[in-house]
Amino acid sequence: MKLFAALLLFGVYLFQTPLALAQKEYEVDLSKLQKEIEKKPYALNGFFEFTPALLLLDQTSTIYDMQLADRHVGRAMDQYNSRLRLEGSYQRGFARLYAMGDGYLRNDDLGWSGRAHLFQGYLSLKFRPNTAVDVGKRVARWGKGYAWNPAAFIDRPKDMEDPQEALEGFTMLSADFTKSFTGRLKTLSFTPVILPVTKDLNDVLGKPGHINAAGKLYGLIWDTDVDLMFLVGSSRSVRYGLDFSRNLQANSEVHAEWAWLTSGESRATSSGLAGFRYLTADETTFIAEYYRNGPGLSEEEARDLYNNLGRGDFGDRSAQRLLGTQNLMRDYLYLRATKKEPFQILYLTPEISSIINLSDHSFLVLPGFTYNPVTNLQLRLRFGCLVGGANTEYGEKQTNYRLELRVRYFFQQP
Amino acid sequence: MPCSISKAQMTKRRWPWLLFPVLTLLSASAFSQSPEEILKKIDRNLTPESFESYRKLINIEPNGRSREYILFTVKKGRDKVASVFLSPASDKGRATLRLGDNMWLYVPDVGKPIRITSLQSVVGGVFNNADILRLDYNVEYGVKELQQKGEEYVLDLQARSSSVAYDRLRMTVTEKTLLPTKIECFAVAGMLIKTLYFKEPKVFEGITRPTVIETDSPLYRGYKSLIVYASIKAKDFPDEVFTLTFLPRVETLR
Repeated sequence: MKLFAALLLFGVYLFQTPLALAQKEYEVDLSKLQKEIEKKPYALNGFFEFTPALLLLDQTSTIYDMQLADRHVGRAMDQYNSRLRLEGSYQRGFARLYAMGDGYLRNDDLGWSGRAHLFQGYLSLKFRPNTAVDVGKRVARWGKGYAWNPAAFIDRPKDMEDPQEALEGFTMLSADFTKSFTGRLKTLSFTPVILPVTKDLNDVLGKPGHINAAGKLYGLIWDTDVDLMFLVGSSRSVRYGLDFSRNLQANSEVHAEWAWLTSGESRATSSGLAGFRYLTADETTFIAEYYRNGPGLSEEEARDLYNNLGRGDFGDRSAQRLLGTQNLMRDYLYLRATKKEPFQILYLTPEISSIINLSDHSFLVLPGFTYNPVTNLQLRLRFGCLVGGANTEYGEKQTNYRLELRVRYFFQQP
Repeated sequence: MPCSISKAQMTKRRWPWLLFPVLTLLSASAFSQSPEEILKKIDRNLTPESFESYRKLINIEPNGRSREYILFTVKKGRDKVASVFLSPASDKGRATLRLGDNMWLYVPDVGKPIRITSLQSVVGGVFNNADILRLDYNVEYGVKELQQKGEEYVLDLQARSSSVAYDRLRMTVTEKTLLPTKIECFAVAGMLIKTLYFKEPKVFEGITRPTVIETDSPLYRGYKSLIVYASIKAKDFPDEVFTLTFLPRVETLR
């Protein structure tokens, strides 16, 4: 706890200490600039991140009971997270090799844990600006939703608390064919994808031993982005998706996404979302999304699940379901507000976001701010509060409150 | 002694006098052009209609600290422009695409372009989208009034739509070169938001234009920003370069 407090104070110190330099006439060295823009065939960049966090645990919650009750963990827990992300690329002619690796290390009352992943690693061949082929591990990131993407059939689910963060990809062969037009239809693009699933490759995508096909047709028509997606194959049930996004005015945007999952391993169902983004005159951005999670539990099913777990039976499918999903039930609302540089403090962005389970009225709220005191250094102080009664989704999570300071330092070469 | 002047000498002596009506005719013809045509000429003097460019954006803070961003930009025709940050590391790979009033932002971590409102700022600090994804002035503004003040024109420009960052511009232009020396940017309510000063002309492959655009703003007292052009090259691109599908690959055009 003391270490966490010291690190927090250090972060605040960085936040408020401008270097005492006088503004002087700035000289531009054009020859130096020419060297800086010189293209190299290779690039290496990434960031190092350190995130101390203080967690206040809910010792009466179901997940605490399941995971921590017998591990002698108290009500308060310090956690120290470190992360290294490396990206590299090499380009020669029309071919480009790209890789992104991610490793993290965590220390808390439960000991040390960590993992290193290859998030992406692929070869991209750009034959012409309208034709490209990619082979290897990469992300597709389909869908228009900010917090959720029910139509992202070939992506891993986003972290609800950090939907903008990078994800690990899947190994695939994909291509992009694009054609531009003049008229109402400005762009048409087709992306076919082949995804093999084996015991060692893309195993979370479904049953191994099959080759699956997916595709996305994109059009910019009447100033609206429209996507049609599909996934067919024997690893998963066949699914179809549709999304659109459009600016209503210069300061507002609307989007929607819908996915239809045909009957396969479970019942047929559909999921969808609708949302908007609105920018006020004083540069506050509001994002709101309503999400209908088709495969989620109804209120009755959720009550049964908590009753089963309440009887101490943690070994059945109910427990796996509770732990294995970020959205247990069917109706959710995501709200987010960010204010750009309030009080004319440059590089400071306060934000607040919330995920509300509309069925059981439990919610998560995350106020905080991001500040870049100097080039390539980013600080984020964030508080998380989970609110909900017994037998509600956020009420039964193991954490009540969380305070974290993320210090991220970016680097690049050349 | 009789004064004899050869034909050649006469011509030599008279040429300044001949130049006067020629220049007068030229400037009259300049003024005889419609204000919109003058604005179009100013645009062409600043950049070719389709080009690639490298720029450095510099924010200088009151305490003397500075932040620098290097931006690679490609533009085609009236309304297609794409940009990608080459540095600093925290912004590397962030790319923006503009097709008319449609605008998208690609953040490498997010991994897909997201549609943003055209007024959304894509970089912190004093810079805004108008600095990064600027179309020709004549595309976004109409000339409300043109005045001649000595050897300068002053053009009062009005935004053609509400999606433009500044509602009104007052552009001071050197009559001879048809290049701006100063642009004052106003909000709808008439408040001065920013003043741009164009400095240090240099030849860039066929065009001579200011290398440095210095900006100050009453909204950010003590802050100063510079845009420094390292290179502008006329270049044509296929339309497919200006699509969402291509946006993550814009940097490969370098």
